[in-house]
Amino acid sequence: MNDQVTISPTTLSLHLTINGRDHALDVEPRVTLLDALRERLHLTGTKKGCDQGQCGACTVHVDGERVLACLTLAAQVEGRSVTTIEGLADQDGTLHAVQAAFLEQDAFQCGYCTPGQIMSAVACIREGHAGSDEEIREYMAGNLCRCGAYPNIVAAVRQAAQELRS
Amino acid sequence: MTVHDMKHAASDSARLEAVGGRLSRVDGPAKITGAAHYAFEQQLEGLAHAVVVGATIAAGKVTAIDTRAAETAPGVLAVLTPDTIMQLKGASDWFGNPSLQPTYCPLAREVTYSGQHVAAVVAETFEQAVAAAALVKVGYDEIPAIVDLSDGKAGDGIPIEAMTKEWGDAQAAFAAAPVRVCAAYNTPREFQAAMEPHGLIARWEGDELTIWEPSQWLDGMARTYAEWFGVPFENVRLVSPYIGGGFGSKALALAHSAVAATAAKMLKRPVKLVLNRPQNFTSYGGRAATRQTVAIGADRDGLIQSIVHRGINETAVDGMWVEPLGSVTSIMYATPNFSSKQNVVRVNTVVPGAKRAPGENPSAFGIESAIDELAHELGIDPLEMRLINYAEQDPHAKKAWSTRQLREAFAAGAEAFGWAKRSPKPRSMPDGHQLIGWGVAAGTYPVRRAHGEAVVKILADGSVVVESSSIDMGQGTYTILAQTAAETLGVPVSQVSVKLGDSHFARAGVTGGSRLAGIMTGAVYKAAGQALDELVGLALSDPRSPFQKLQANTLQVRDGRIASPRGEGPELSIAEFMAAIGRNRIEAKGDTLPPNTTPQERYANYTTIAKSIPHTEGEWSRHSWCAHFVEVRVDEDFGTVRVSRVVSALDSGRLYNPKLAESQWKGGIIMGIGQALLEEGIVDRRHGRIVNGNLADYMLPTNADIPDIQTISVGIPDAHSSALGGKGVGELAIVGIAPAIANAVFHATGKRVRDLPITLEKLI
Repeated sequence: MNDQVTISPTTLSLHLTINGRDHALDVEPRVTLLDALRERLHLTGTKKGCDQGQCGACTVHVDGERVLACLTLAAQVEGRSVTTIEGLADQDGTLHAVQAAFLEQDAFQCGYCTPGQIMSAVACIREGHAGSDEEIREYMAGNLCRCGAYPNIVAAVRQAAQELRS
Repeated sequence: MTVHDMKHAASDSARLEAVGGRLSRVDGPAKITGAAHYAFEQQLEGLAHAVVVGATIAAGKVTAIDTRAAETAPGVLAVLTPDTIMQLKGASDWFGNPSLQPTYCPLAREVTYSGQHVAAVVAETFEQAVAAAALVKVGYDEIPAIVDLSDGKAGDGIPIEAMTKEWGDAQAAFAAAPVRVCAAYNTPREFQAAMEPHGLIARWEGDELTIWEPSQWLDGMARTYAEWFGVPFENVRLVSPYIGGGFGSKALALAHSAVAATAAKMLKRPVKLVLNRPQNFTSYGGRAATRQTVAIGADRDGLIQSIVHRGINETAVDGMWVEPLGSVTSIMYATPNFSSKQNVVRVNTVVPGAKRAPGENPSAFGIESAIDELAHELGIDPLEMRLINYAEQDPHAKKAWSTRQLREAFAAGAEAFGWAKRSPKPRSMPDGHQLIGWGVAAGTYPVRRAHGEAVVKILADGSVVVESSSIDMGQGTYTILAQTAAETLGVPVSQVSVKLGDSHFARAGVTGGSRLAGIMTGAVYKAAGQALDELVGLALSDPRSPFQKLQANTLQVRDGRIASPRGEGPELSIAEFMAAIGRNRIEAKGDTLPPNTTPQERYANYTTIAKSIPHTEGEWSRHSWCAHFVEVRVDEDFGTVRVSRVVSALDSGRLYNPKLAESQWKGGIIMGIGQALLEEGIVDRRHGRIVNGNLADYMLPTNADIPDIQTISVGIPDAHSSALGGKGVGELAIVGIAPAIANAVFHATGKRVRDLPITLEKLI
């Protein structure tokens, strides 16, 4: 954190649990979870695409459910468990089944929407919404990909869902 | 595992890793774990945050800027206006033409488009900068704006003579033709809408400037910064390790780039400036809106006698953009008579720019719709119509095609799609309340070429490093260059690391026009070949080399091990050999420049587009080709269109990595579906503002909009197009998708929509 920051009188001292680690953070109440992650905690895997809740690039898990970090204030997640793309693989570096499937199916090109797609896909499968290609398309429709990796994303989610079931 | 199995496995992996193998992205693991740090995600000490303030009028003057409230807001370091920002020098354009203006101010006093930057706020935090920017009060003297091409004030525009293409007597032949079609085709203003917004971090150390900015052209942008600030080119370092999508939009240093770099200089602190999403719709140009008329005259057998084409595209009041609308019109079909002319019309917009296949994309919408109309008029199958008029050579350049697998594309696509089962009459394939339509269209993109260079290093541990200032924005540059180096040197891909996106590496020109892969595989092939020659030369001749006593003429490097091709004598890993001769590196720089290239020519080759090689150079005309087959389902009651099936057969020459090429093709097809059905920049007629400048109202295709897409490669190696036989991939596949969908919608409904996007109100 930058020492020169002018602290406003309304600064909050937050304790956030991100990827199983505790972080103490002094921020203004208006700071979003997304900017807290990217600008304060240097966890830049969570991407800012629109900052308006329209693109899904900032999707993270809060208590296991997918949320948009750009529409969530950092203060809202105190006492809750936040998982970002950096915390998805095992400690030993073994990729999550969804990550491995994204690589194998070439489910990304530029990679900028990818962390959000992967976090969304993990939740989509957990929610039980990966039963068919049709259902995957629908429940992954909140994550935009301008490179147009959609057919490969569907293939990756289908593959990972099968692996996680078996 | 048996020895036999091991050999088998090794050869399988060698095939996968060689050029042409379906290797997964080598940059993939970083991207799927969040470890890939994009340009403006660098973490710097003392970083300040800048936010730009955009004009709320589209034409007029800034009369006053009240900065008092902003200046006293918490955390604010500076409020910059045209009066307080440091003056820059005028920079040359991308052709290298010097600026007409000696100075440049990136904040405008005279406003020529809505959203144009008029002020900027720099603060300690992003939140403080955003809050203070809202306190800046700008006064205007507004004058009426020319909002778009349909504005009564727009006029007929300026003729662009360079766009005129004519042979025969097109007007007379059209008038005399027994069968004629003539119609107008419109495309709206469209946006690239890359998921990563534009932005940068700028840092000065003395008179050395480092810019972390997503960039399709490090060397060109570095030149612009150097000229703005009057520092030597070498003093500017552009860093862009990953680019979150560009689609043509990220090749130039723009006004906001100048604001950030200037603020960093004035404040003596690194400054980060990222455009918010609405600003990404006004701070740089999307695809210009276009209007075309296409008239085709044919005989009763469907043979084209004449094509008359007229086009206009919008450009800015104070900047020029020409979207070449006759580019496909003039080469797709054989015709004895042809005329194409184009005007540009000035409106109050930011200067339009390149979006995937600029020119070819709207051009194909015109000609590929018109040929479908002619086919319907004559009662000829639209696929047959295209074969009847197949161009056996380039009709404009009158040169042989280097390769043109378009006939093969039509055949393979039709077979996979089941085109033979199409019922010719419109509205003749209903399915309940849905009308099914099948459409076909062709696409093409020229093989744009220039030169490139690369450095290949073999290090003491046997690893190989490839360096280039070219970039990877998702096309797969990291991967195909690793494959090229690995195959050329005879080492596993796991031993190769490719470093891109740093302007201090070996030079590269713009990544645009689908030219990077052909150029850079050629440069790496050459550099790696030189490194291999040096390695083998040392092994044969160095007195410390264990191979020296073999007295052999050559040696082989396979799977990272050096041996005699006849299997006699020692076998050493590259690392063991380097240790034996006491070397810690072998380094070679390869380039594709002609011999005797001067330093000035080399600089111009990489920092301007003036040195591009024409695709019709010499005796060949070089293009990629494709044929799209599309099925749509139109709800008869609601007029909603869904694309339910796409089969595309494409000729991109040899594919360096089919897995990644197929992904790019699908991406182009999907962007084309957006263009056909969803995407349209809507301008407010009172103030000339883009009213849907965000990702919810400017609708991109979502996952739920996209059906299964089948792509088929019909390309063959094209030695006239590139060193390793590839043609263009990235831009090709979007060309022809919109007309294929429009043609399918006509087949479904009997209604011809000539004005994109095809929205429901145009069908009911």
